[in-house]
Amino acid sequence: MALASSSLIAHTTKLDLVIRHVLAGLGHGIHAGRERGAGVEFSEYRAYAPGDEWRRVDWKLAARADRYFVREAERDSHVAVWLILDASASMAEPSRSVEGLDKLSYARTQLGCVAAIAQRQGDAFGLVVLSDGKAAFTPAARGPRQLQRVLAQLSKAEARGALPDATTLKASLHFSISPSAVYATSDLLDWPSPLSQALTRLRQMRHDVRVLGLQTQAEIDASFPETQAYRDPEQEEGVFRFGSDLKDGYRRNREAHFADVTAQSRKNDMPLLLAAIEQAPGDVLRRWLRRPGGR
Amino acid sequence: MNLLWWFALPVVLLPIWWHRRKRIENKAALMATARFLPRTEPRQTRVWRWSDPLLLLVRCLLLACLIAWLANPVFPQRGDTVIVAQGTDAAWAEQQAAQAGLAQAERVTLPGAQALGYVHAHEREWTADARLLVLGDLPMPAAKPVFGRQVEVRTQPKAAQVAHHVHIASARAAEWRRMFTALSGPEKIVIDDAPGKATSLIVWDRAGAPPASMKASLWLVTDAAAFPELAKARSLDGLRYADTPRGRVWRNAAWPPRDADSARRLLDDWQQLHVGPRPYTLQSQVFAPSKDANAPAPNGGLRDILLIALAALFVLERSLAHVGRR
Repeated sequence: MALASSSLIAHTTKLDLVIRHVLAGLGHGIHAGRERGAGVEFSEYRAYAPGDEWRRVDWKLAARADRYFVREAERDSHVAVWLILDASASMAEPSRSVEGLDKLSYARTQLGCVAAIAQRQGDAFGLVVLSDGKAAFTPAARGPRQLQRVLAQLSKAEARGALPDATTLKASLHFSISPSAVYATSDLLDWPSPLSQALTRLRQMRHDVRVLGLQTQAEIDASFPETQAYRDPEQEEGVFRFGSDLKDGYRRNREAHFADVTAQSRKNDMPLLLAAIEQAPGDVLRRWLRRPGGR
Repeated sequence: MNLLWWFALPVVLLPIWWHRRKRIENKAALMATARFLPRTEPRQTRVWRWSDPLLLLVRCLLLACLIAWLANPVFPQRGDTVIVAQGTDAAWAEQQAAQAGLAQAERVTLPGAQALGYVHAHEREWTADARLLVLGDLPMPAAKPVFGRQVEVRTQPKAAQVAHHVHIASARAAEWRRMFTALSGPEKIVIDDAPGKATSLIVWDRAGAPPASMKASLWLVTDAAAFPELAKARSLDGLRYADTPRGRVWRNAAWPPRDADSARRLLDDWQQLHVGPRPYTLQSQVFAPSKDANAPAPNGGLRDILLIALAALFVLERSLAHVGRR
């Protein structure tokens, strides 16, 4: 089943089908938003507090009870979900065991699932695609149309170029004034990077930042074909060779890098999940969305 | 000279080299985590793989074709040939060819004066075992022809029907006529009553100037008063000569010649200086192949075909390269 799901990503071009399939295996109640309950019709009143908007006051009730009550939780939570997709050239790294599967398509599926959940919950959600030195920005909104928009943007994303620089990224994170949940997928190979700085900054502004670091099984096992020369997709020059004599060095360097990444994200109180793209997308999604410290 | 172009053939190695190197550069696969590996020298993989075999083939053909076009090659392809001089008796030619065993051979008809030169110029077009027979009335060339292959020549002298028109204006016409009988050789002397266009010699043995309309390449004159140009003319052995608008004038006061020797001398001078040497038919003979034969580099018949192929290949190459770039 696990393999079937990840190969489904490789073989299906329709993102919404994959997402439906993945979510069907999850059931409800995995959303970690700030809202209470899932009832669509539920709303409650609470006493007016200074600072509340006047238009939110229920005037009929005020007339009956002679007190101001504010309508609360009417499906317009202030929590916006922001999806950040790293679509730099290195995200094109393919799985060496599952044909046609790569990090970008896996990340697309994960973010699509989060978007679909957010839509079901009635949250606003937006998308930032970081590719080729630019940040493509889809403003946050609610509803099924927005889901189609976001899925289209995700499908359109191609792994190309490098991450945008710090100033470009800073300019595109103007949404950070309102409270939001930020879901970022990346291969985390550039760390520290403009992306890591931006995520840290968002976390320091008390947003809920969750990072999914994607790896391949071949990277974890350090098992690459030795007959070929390799190039770094984000660097023009330099040729690399893989061999059994270099395996230990590769593993050591890689583990040191990710240990560093994990330590920094823990220091910044930023939940980080490292997952291999050969793992079932449903399981990974569940672990990614799990409330830190809960359940 | 043309053959030196074949030494440019290694140029074909250039596209081969380019196409192979491209392959090596593209050999490396992408690996996102390559940064965790030490950098190495790009290993030259010794696999001979071509990046774009069709384009490579077309490019090699294009270069080879260009060099071949410049080198202008000739492939010996002609078999047994009988070369017949124009005007040769057809029955005699057939008989000679049959006698030489070449009755079925290819026939080429050429003016007799050009036949041996043609064989020399096109010598390399015949295959090594082809036999060549040249028939007809061939004038003897000034130098003995040398061929790189065996060439058999069978000649049949043709009676030259050359007539020289002469006009005699003289009271002593009989003596002049007798002089022309001293002429030896195949030519015939025709005495014109009135000078015409064909008249090449005029004997003016009269007092007084000839009419202005009379013209000939040579005048034999006894009276110097008729031609004022003779007054300042140069003389040689008692003969004065000058060029006038009517033609060249020879004047000798002792004419017409009295004896056969002087008559023959005069006619020989005329023959050599005005008529030109008589054609002399080459003896029938077989020219043995000679190592010294320096046949000229021939103009191959492949040039046009190669040019068309060159243009077609060029168009093909440009199209393929353009498609490859997109």
